[in-house]
Amino acid sequence: MTSRKLLAAVLAGSLVAVSACGSGFDDDKSTTQQSAGPADLQIMIASSGDAETKAVQAAAAEWASGSGNKATIIPAQDIVQQLGQGLAGSNPPDVFYVDAARFADYASVGALDPYAQGLAGSDAFLPNLRQSFTYDGKLYCLPKDTSTLALQINTGLWQKAGLTDADVPTTWDQLRATAEKIKAKGITPLAIGDTRDRIGAFLVQAGGWWVSPDGKQATADTPQNEQALTYVQGLLKDGLAKYPKALDAGWAGEAFGKGKVAMTIEGNWIKGALSADFPDIKYKVVELPAGPKGKGTLSFTQCWGIAAKSKFKQQAVAFVQAMTTADEQLGFAKAFGVMPSRQDAQASYQQQYPDDAPFVAGARYAQGPVNAPKMDSVLADLDAGLQGLQNGDPKAVLQRFDKNAKSALGG
Amino acid sequence: MKLLNRFLGYAILTFFAIVFLYPFVIQIANSFKTEADAAAHPLSPVPSPFTTDSVVRIFEGTGFPTWLGNSVLVAVVVTLSRVLFGSMAGYALSRLRFRGRKFLFALLIALMAVPPVVLLIPKFLVLNQLGMYDSYAALIVPLLADATGVFIMKQFFDSVPVSVEEAARIDGAGAFRTFWSVVLPMARPALIAVTILMFTGVWNEFPHTLVAVQDPGLFTLPRGLADLVSGSLGAGTQYPLKLGAALLATIPVAIIFVVFQRYFVRDAAEGADKG
Amino acid sequence: MALSRRAPSTRSGERVAGWLFVAPVVIVLGLFMLLPILMALWVSLTRWNGQGSPFTGDVPFAGAGNYTRLFTDEGLTRQDFMTSIRNNAYYVFFVVPIQTVLALGLAVIVNKRKAFFRSAFYFPSVTSSVAISVVFLFMFANGGAINAILSVFGISGPQWFSDPRGVIHLFLDSIGLVDVNAPPSALADHGVLGLSWWDWTSGPSVAMCAIISLVVWTTSGTFMLMYLAALQNVPVQLEEAGMIDGASRWQRFRYITLPALRPTTFLVVTLGLIGTWQVFDQIYVMSQGNPAKTTLTPAFLSYRTAFRDFDYGTGAAISFVLFLIIVVLTLFQRWLTRERG
Repeated sequence: MTSRKLLAAVLAGSLVAVSACGSGFDDDKSTTQQSAGPADLQIMIASSGDAETKAVQAAAAEWASGSGNKATIIPAQDIVQQLGQGLAGSNPPDVFYVDAARFADYASVGALDPYAQGLAGSDAFLPNLRQSFTYDGKLYCLPKDTSTLALQINTGLWQKAGLTDADVPTTWDQLRATAEKIKAKGITPLAIGDTRDRIGAFLVQAGGWWVSPDGKQATADTPQNEQALTYVQGLLKDGLAKYPKALDAGWAGEAFGKGKVAMTIEGNWIKGALSADFPDIKYKVVELPAGPKGKGTLSFTQCWGIAAKSKFKQQAVAFVQAMTTADEQLGFAKAFGVMPSRQDAQASYQQQYPDDAPFVAGARYAQGPVNAPKMDSVLADLDAGLQGLQNGDPKAVLQRFDKNAKSALGG
Repeated sequence: MKLLNRFLGYAILTFFAIVFLYPFVIQIANSFKTEADAAAHPLSPVPSPFTTDSVVRIFEGTGFPTWLGNSVLVAVVVTLSRVLFGSMAGYALSRLRFRGRKFLFALLIALMAVPPVVLLIPKFLVLNQLGMYDSYAALIVPLLADATGVFIMKQFFDSVPVSVEEAARIDGAGAFRTFWSVVLPMARPALIAVTILMFTGVWNEFPHTLVAVQDPGLFTLPRGLADLVSGSLGAGTQYPLKLGAALLATIPVAIIFVVFQRYFVRDAAEGADKG
Repeated sequence: MALSRRAPSTRSGERVAGWLFVAPVVIVLGLFMLLPILMALWVSLTRWNGQGSPFTGDVPFAGAGNYTRLFTDEGLTRQDFMTSIRNNAYYVFFVVPIQTVLALGLAVIVNKRKAFFRSAFYFPSVTSSVAISVVFLFMFANGGAINAILSVFGISGPQWFSDPRGVIHLFLDSIGLVDVNAPPSALADHGVLGLSWWDWTSGPSVAMCAIISLVVWTTSGTFMLMYLAALQNVPVQLEEAGMIDGASRWQRFRYITLPALRPTTFLVVTLGLIGTWQVFDQIYVMSQGNPAKTTLTPAFLSYRTAFRDFDYGTGAAISFVLFLIIVVLTLFQRWLTRERG
C-alpha cells in the first residue's frame, strides 16, 4: 500500500514539475528572444517536386553565402502535419510556405508573425494575392508566386488519334466529343486529380462554387454545381477521364508525362515537373474549356510565412525579401513554372513565356481557394466524396458538404 | 496412397512457401529493374536490363544514409539499455525481496497491455512538455525500457534454481556484483533471446518516430521510408527506388533471422505461454 | 519463505537494491507511459489547438464534449469516427478468422516437416511493417503483380487503392439484389449513429481488402508457431487410439486434434482481436484512410485529427475510446487464459 502511495506521489510530483517547466517558456507568445548576427534559418517548403526543391535550395544557398548566414531547406512531405507538430512543440521552422487555403488557420491562432504589414515594397505584389494573406486587416506574409489550372495536350497522342488544332476543345461538349474520339483509338483521354483543387474548376465554369463570395455561407447544393459534378461523373463513368490512382500515377502530371493520357488538367507547376522527369514529352497548353457559364479556372498561391516564435525574425525577413525580388521570381518561374506574384515581374514573365499565355489568361477569371479557418476537415471530407464520385451521387456529395460546412462556419 | 499423400502435402507446402516468399523475390528483382521494366513486368524475377541505378539513387538522391545511421544508433543504444535494464528489473522482481514488488509486477503486466498506437498523442504531449521534441533524446529516451523485456527476464529467473547466486551472496558480494558476475553470465540464453527480440522491434519501430521528430535529419529507416512512399507531388511512383530502399531496410533483420532462427521460434512459443 | 535465516542488514540491503534495480525501468515507463496517459486524459477534456502548452489556464475546458461529439452529437466528427469504427470492424471480421484458419492449416502441414517451411512462413512477421507495405503497394498497383496473376485466370483485377466500393455491396450487386450506383432508399435514407444503413452494410472496401491480405500474410506465421507449440503437446496416445479405431485422417483431426487445440485457438483469436484494432502503420503507408475514407481506422483517425486538424482534444478522446475497446478485449483474453491454467 505504501509503495502505491509513494508511486502516486512521485507521478503527481513529476506531473506538476513537468507542467511548471513547460509553462515557463510557452506562455509568452509575443516576446521570443531575438538573436542578432548570423542566423541558422530553418525553411520548410511544400515542394511541387525536385525542380522546385533544387531551385529553392540553390537560391537559399546563394543568400546564405552572400549574407553570412546559414539556411537549411526542409522539403516537407506533409507540411500541414509537420508544421503542426513544430508549432505545438514550440519549435517551428523560421520560414515556411503557407497555403492560402490554410492561412486563416495559422493567422487566427497567432502562429504567424505579421512581418509584411507596412514592409517597404509590399505594394509591389498583386492586390488579389495580398488580399489572400490578409487577416484582421493585417498583411501577414508576402505571396511567393501564383499559378492557375489549364488544359495540357500531348501533341504526339493527339496526332495519333487523328486530331488537329481544330479539335482543341473550348467547350464542355467539345471536350466530351474529342475525348470520345481519343478513346475510340484506345487512348485514355484525360487524367484529372481527384480533389476539389481540380474538379472545382468545373463548378466555376458552371457558374457555381462551394461557398459564397464572402466565404461565410456554404453554397454547394445548387443546380449549377450539380450540373458540373454530373458532367465530371459522366466523363469518369464512360472512361473518358480517369483519376491518377486508376492510372498507377501519384498525380495527374505523372500519368501525362508517362504518355498514358492525351490530356490533363494541371497548373503551371507541371512545366517544371515534366521537363525534369519526362523531358521528351511534347505538349501544349490551352485554356480550360468553357462551361455553360463561360470560362473558369482555379488559382493557387502560397506565401513565405515567418513563425511568431522564430528567433531570427530580422534575418528571416531579409531572407524572404531576397527570395521575392523580381529577378528571383523570374528564376523560380524558369525553374518550375510558377507565375511571379509581383506586378513588375509578371510583365516580363508574359514577354519571356508566350507559351504560358493560357495560364496568365486564366489568372484574370480564376477562383481562389476556400479560405476560412476550421474548414480543413470539411474540405478533406469533400475530397473523400469526390474520390467516390464515379459511383456516388453528385447531389449527396454537395449536400454533405453544405451540412458539414455550415457547422464549421457557424452559419 | 501414402506416397500420394506425401506428395500432396509437399505440394501444398511448396505452394504456400511461394505465397510467403515470392513477394520478397519480387521486391529484390524489381529493385534492380528500370522503372519501365518494373511497370511492364512486375512479376518477372529477372530484371532486364539489370541496373543498380536505383541503389545509386537511394544513396545519392535520398536521405537514406542519414536514416540508416540514425536507425543503427537508436537500435544499438535502445537494445543495450533494454537488455540491461530489463534483466536488472526482471532479476529484482524475481529474486530480491522489497516492498512494492508485487504491485510493480502487476503494474508491469498492466502496462504490457497498453497498445502502442493509443500512446501516439500522449507521447507527443510529454516530449513537447519536456522540451525534448524533435531531438535524438526524443527518439531514444522513451524507448529505453520496455515491459515485455522485464517480463521475459523475470520468467527466466523464476525458472532457474537459486542455489548458485545464494552461494555468491553468502560470500558477501553486493547485490550488484552478484548480478553482474554471477547472474548475468548464467542468463545468457535469455539475454540473447531478449536482445534479438528488442533489436528487431526497435529496428522496425515506426509510430514512435512519427510523434517524436519531424526533422528529416532525425529520421530512422521506417520513418524515412514512409515519407519516401507517400511521395510528394512530382516525385512519381519510382517503384524500383522504393522497393530497393525497403529491401535495404529489411536486410539486417533478415540476417539476424537466419542466424538466430531458433530463438525467434522460441520467442513466439513463449508468447503463447505467457498469454 | 525462509526470511528468518538472513541477517536484518541483508534484508534492508535487498530492499534498497531492489528499488535501485527496478528504478530505470520505473522511471522510463512512468515518465513515458503513465504520465503521458494522464496528460492525454486531461487534453481529451480540453479544446487545445496545439499552440503553446496545454497545461495552462487559457486552454478552453470542454468537459466530456469531445466524447459526446463522437457518439451523440450529429456532425462530421461522429460521422468520421463511426466510419472508422465500421472500417475497422469489417477489417477485424475478415482478418481474424482468415489468419486463424490459415495459421492452423500451416501448422498442421508444417508439423514434423522441414524447418525451412516453418521459417519461410514466419519470416514476414519479423520484417518491418513499413517495408512490407511498400512491397504490397507495388504488388497491388493496377498494373502490378496481383492483377497480372488475376489476368492469367481471365479476371480483370480492380484498381485496388482507388476503389472505395464495399465488397458486400459489390456481391449483392453481382447477384442482382441491389444496384451499387443507386442504393435502395430504404437503406440509404435511414441510419443510426451518423451513418446510413447502406453505409454500415458496405463491407470492407476493395482498397481495404488489399490491406487485409497484407496483414493476414504477415501475421499468420506468428500464430502458426503458437499452434505448432501446442501441436507438440497433443498426447500421442490419443492419436494412436484414433488410428486403431480406424478413424479417417479428417475424423482424427476433427475429433481429437482440434479439441486439444482449443485453448490455443482461443488465445490466437483474442490476440488477433487485440492486434487488429491497433492497425496503423499499414494504413499510414498505404492509403492514409483513402479512398473515400474507407480505410480510415480509429488509430489513424486519432492521429490525423490531432496532428493534421490540430484538434488534439478529439484526437485524444478517440485514443481513449480505442484504448477502452482494447482493454476490454485484453481482460477477456486474460480471463480466458486464466480459465485454462
